[in-house]
Amino acid sequence: MFRDYSISKKMTWTNMLVSGAALLLACAAFIGYDLVSFRRAAVYNLSIQAQIAGSNAVSAILFDDPSSAEKTLSALQASPNIISAGILTPNGRPFAAYSRNKDGKMPVLPSLAAGQAETHRFGGGAVLLVRSIVFQRKPTGTIYIQSSIEGLYARLKLYVGISTIVLAMSLLVALLISPIVQREIARPIVQLAEIAQLVSRDKNYSVRAEPSNTRDEISVLVGAFNEMLMQIQQSEGALRKAHDELELRVQERTAELETAKSELEVYSHSILRAKEEVERASKFKDQFLSTMSHELRTPLNAVLGFSDLLADERYGSLNDRQKRYVNNIHTGGQHLLKLISDILDLSKIEAGRMDLAIQEVPMESAFADVVSTLKPLAEKKAQVLAQNCESRLIVRADSTRLKQMLMNLAGNAIKFTPEGGRVELTAYEANGRVRVEVRDTGPGIPPEEQNHIFQAFYRLRQSGPAIEGTGLGLAITQRLAELHGGTLGIDSQPGKGSCFHFSLPVGASLRQSQSTEARVRPVIGEAPKILVIEDDRDAASLIQANLASAGYESVVCDCPQDAVKIVKEMQPDVITLDLLMKPSSGWEVLLQLKRDPRTACTPIVVISILDQPAIGATLGADEYLVKPVEKASLLAAVRRCLGVKQGERSQRPILVVEDDTSTCEIISELLTAQGYAVTTAEDGEQARAQMKAGLPELVILDLMLPKVSGFELLAEWRSKPRTADLPVFVLTSKDLTAEEEQYLRKHAESLFHKQQSWQQGLSQQLQRVLKVSPAVKS
Amino acid sequence: MQHFSDAESLVSVSQNPGSLRCRLSTVLVILFFISPSGLRAQQPKASEFEVKAAYLYNFGRFVQWSSAAASAKGNAFPICVFGQDPFGAILDTILSGESIDGKAVVAKRVSKAQDALDCRVLYISASEDSHLKEILAGLDKAGVLTVSDIPQFSQRGGMIQFVVVANKIRFEVNLTSAQDAGLTLSSDLLKVAVAVRKSQQSGD
Repeated sequence: MFRDYSISKKMTWTNMLVSGAALLLACAAFIGYDLVSFRRAAVYNLSIQAQIAGSNAVSAILFDDPSSAEKTLSALQASPNIISAGILTPNGRPFAAYSRNKDGKMPVLPSLAAGQAETHRFGGGAVLLVRSIVFQRKPTGTIYIQSSIEGLYARLKLYVGISTIVLAMSLLVALLISPIVQREIARPIVQLAEIAQLVSRDKNYSVRAEPSNTRDEISVLVGAFNEMLMQIQQSEGALRKAHDELELRVQERTAELETAKSELEVYSHSILRAKEEVERASKFKDQFLSTMSHELRTPLNAVLGFSDLLADERYGSLNDRQKRYVNNIHTGGQHLLKLISDILDLSKIEAGRMDLAIQEVPMESAFADVVSTLKPLAEKKAQVLAQNCESRLIVRADSTRLKQMLMNLAGNAIKFTPEGGRVELTAYEANGRVRVEVRDTGPGIPPEEQNHIFQAFYRLRQSGPAIEGTGLGLAITQRLAELHGGTLGIDSQPGKGSCFHFSLPVGASLRQSQSTEARVRPVIGEAPKILVIEDDRDAASLIQANLASAGYESVVCDCPQDAVKIVKEMQPDVITLDLLMKPSSGWEVLLQLKRDPRTACTPIVVISILDQPAIGATLGADEYLVKPVEKASLLAAVRRCLGVKQGERSQRPILVVEDDTSTCEIISELLTAQGYAVTTAEDGEQARAQMKAGLPELVILDLMLPKVSGFELLAEWRSKPRTADLPVFVLTSKDLTAEEEQYLRKHAESLFHKQQSWQQGLSQQLQRVLKVSPAVKS
Repeated sequence: MQHFSDAESLVSVSQNPGSLRCRLSTVLVILFFISPSGLRAQQPKASEFEVKAAYLYNFGRFVQWSSAAASAKGNAFPICVFGQDPFGAILDTILSGESIDGKAVVAKRVSKAQDALDCRVLYISASEDSHLKEILAGLDKAGVLTVSDIPQFSQRGGMIQFVVVANKIRFEVNLTSAQDAGLTLSSDLLKVAVAVRKSQQSGD
């Protein structure tokens, strides 16, 4: 309310309030004082009148003359205010009375205390005074006078009226004066406020308050305000200037940035283009490599395959010269094939395109594969090829590449170690990794050459033309070792042999990883079971290893006396039997088996150092092999036995899908030679047609086909229930990526690379999968 | 039927607090006998002589003696009865303890004029009517206020004479006799007197 008023209104109100309040207080004080004085004077007058009347009435009282006393009292008539009066005797009896209205009523008197001469009481618009009459110091009676105080009220009314008028006038005067005050005080403040509002609303700092010509605080305020405005104006100007400059700079910077950005965009475009080109080139290179590997290998396979067939003298015998030439063709072809593979591998590695399919690999099995492959080579040079590996040692590696490395190193060792030497493969755990060593008793490598041997196409000086090799093996091995997180190292001294070593990460799992050739999908039926009756452990394990490599399942029986019982329980497909055993000899076992009708049909292959095939044949042995037994002859014998046992062969053909006619011919020839029926298809369309015509026993599938690829065919067949379980062997010269290889391992029975020697593996897998032995070659 | 005012009211109660009790008992006794006018029927009316005794005392209070006369009177303030005493014990009772001008008021009975010379107020009994002249002559200029019921007393040289007016005991004053005896009567006294005589009238 009040606080919201303008300052001039406030001042007017203040003026009026102050003057009104002061006036009211003054009037009240004055009236109060006057009333009190008036009352006091009234009482005083009354007291004097009472004293006079009283003393005049003494004798009347003493001589009992009320009329005299009344005469005295009637003198009070002169005072118009006196309403009544009266005299009482000392014992309180009314003695004389006076009343203006003659009504004669005596008021109730206030009693006088002992020793009190006079008292009075206001009430009922009158004052009543009572006074004791004393004569010669003796109380003689009491007089009272009652006087009206109407005058007092009249006075009061008059005063109130006067006060009201004065108040009204003074307020009016205050109202009239306030504009003058405002002009002096309020107006500068109001003006200041208006200016301040203007400044805050319009942000206009150039206005100034009008300076007053007084010297009071308001003028100081106005001066300070103007000063402040001036400073604000100045600083605002400076600020605006700085702001403008800043904006200018920001604009400049923005422009610079824009330029830089567009430049950068141009650069990034060119970089992007360059990148695309690089990628295109890289892709092209990949394609080139892939195509080249396929294109180079296909004719080479033809060379190798046909020279093989010629060497077999299947179509007429060759003279020695012809044999030598065919052999030269074959060897040269193989060298070329190896060279091509190595070059492609190396270029793949150098291009960073070598993807490793890292898995848990048991070291023992990797060694076993390598040893079994290289053993014939070592035996040719009368070398000992030994493996020394902690059992259950597992590494994390690409199984194929690990074997490639071991083959290269061990192959080199065999090559450079003279006849009768020793090559040893060793693996052990050291410093959290598995250290693999290939040690030989060869001539050693001179220190000055040790730095160069890992270079591609480097060949030891000492190695004459007699020692063949691509010169790429070590280079590839070194790169592969590096890809596995290690390095290939060499410890060698001339004349003291060499030791090549590298390290692999330790595999955590004890799970036996599947060998590269292992079946992923379940085979149709079970593998043929073979019982090996042999009391010599070493001989037994060698036979087992040979059988296992062809996919046969074998059980060893080293107690000949229990042999018959075991045969009855196990019902093997073939039995291999040693003759010189204790306590009972193989002859006895053979007799017992053949005598018992339940076991008489089981084919028996005798493997003994005794060279008495005639006796064996007489006693009923189906095959007779003299120790030491070649793996191939063992397997051939077993195959023959299985064929005898089953007595029949599959009537359904094997479908060979291969676009290269020479390769197709080689495969057909190989299969036909082993007694299989063969049909061929040159592309996907033909394959589909063949498949529709009749379900084959098995499919040998090339991947790089015109129109429809082998992958598509495989996927197609696997998706149909009719062909879902059809065994498919993939034979390809394509360099497979890790994904492709994984896919094939999952969906194909076996996988063969044309760049490796595949013929033997193919035959073995066929036997394993088809469980039938092809007819003996005619 | 005579109407008398209260003896108590006629004899103002002393302010002396020491004698208040005594005064009160006196008043009660008086009240017992003297009934106030009108309203108190059961109370006995104040007797004529009780009123007159109180008047004797009050007369003394309104009279001023010349200094020569006063000095001859001694320290007491005797109020005397000459002749046959009509008051009896009443006078003594009323006057007892009272004082005027600081002098103790005493009641005194005299039979010879010589004995009455030192009296301040002298009541001359009606029995002395026959030889009033000799008595007044004996008191000549002795400063004695003479009061009597004797008829024509104020005209016969006496100073204050009791009269009954409208059943009330009033009095007449012979101012000349008083002035001759060296006494000054208060105007207040004269104001309530029935009559105030000024001429000397010797005998009738």
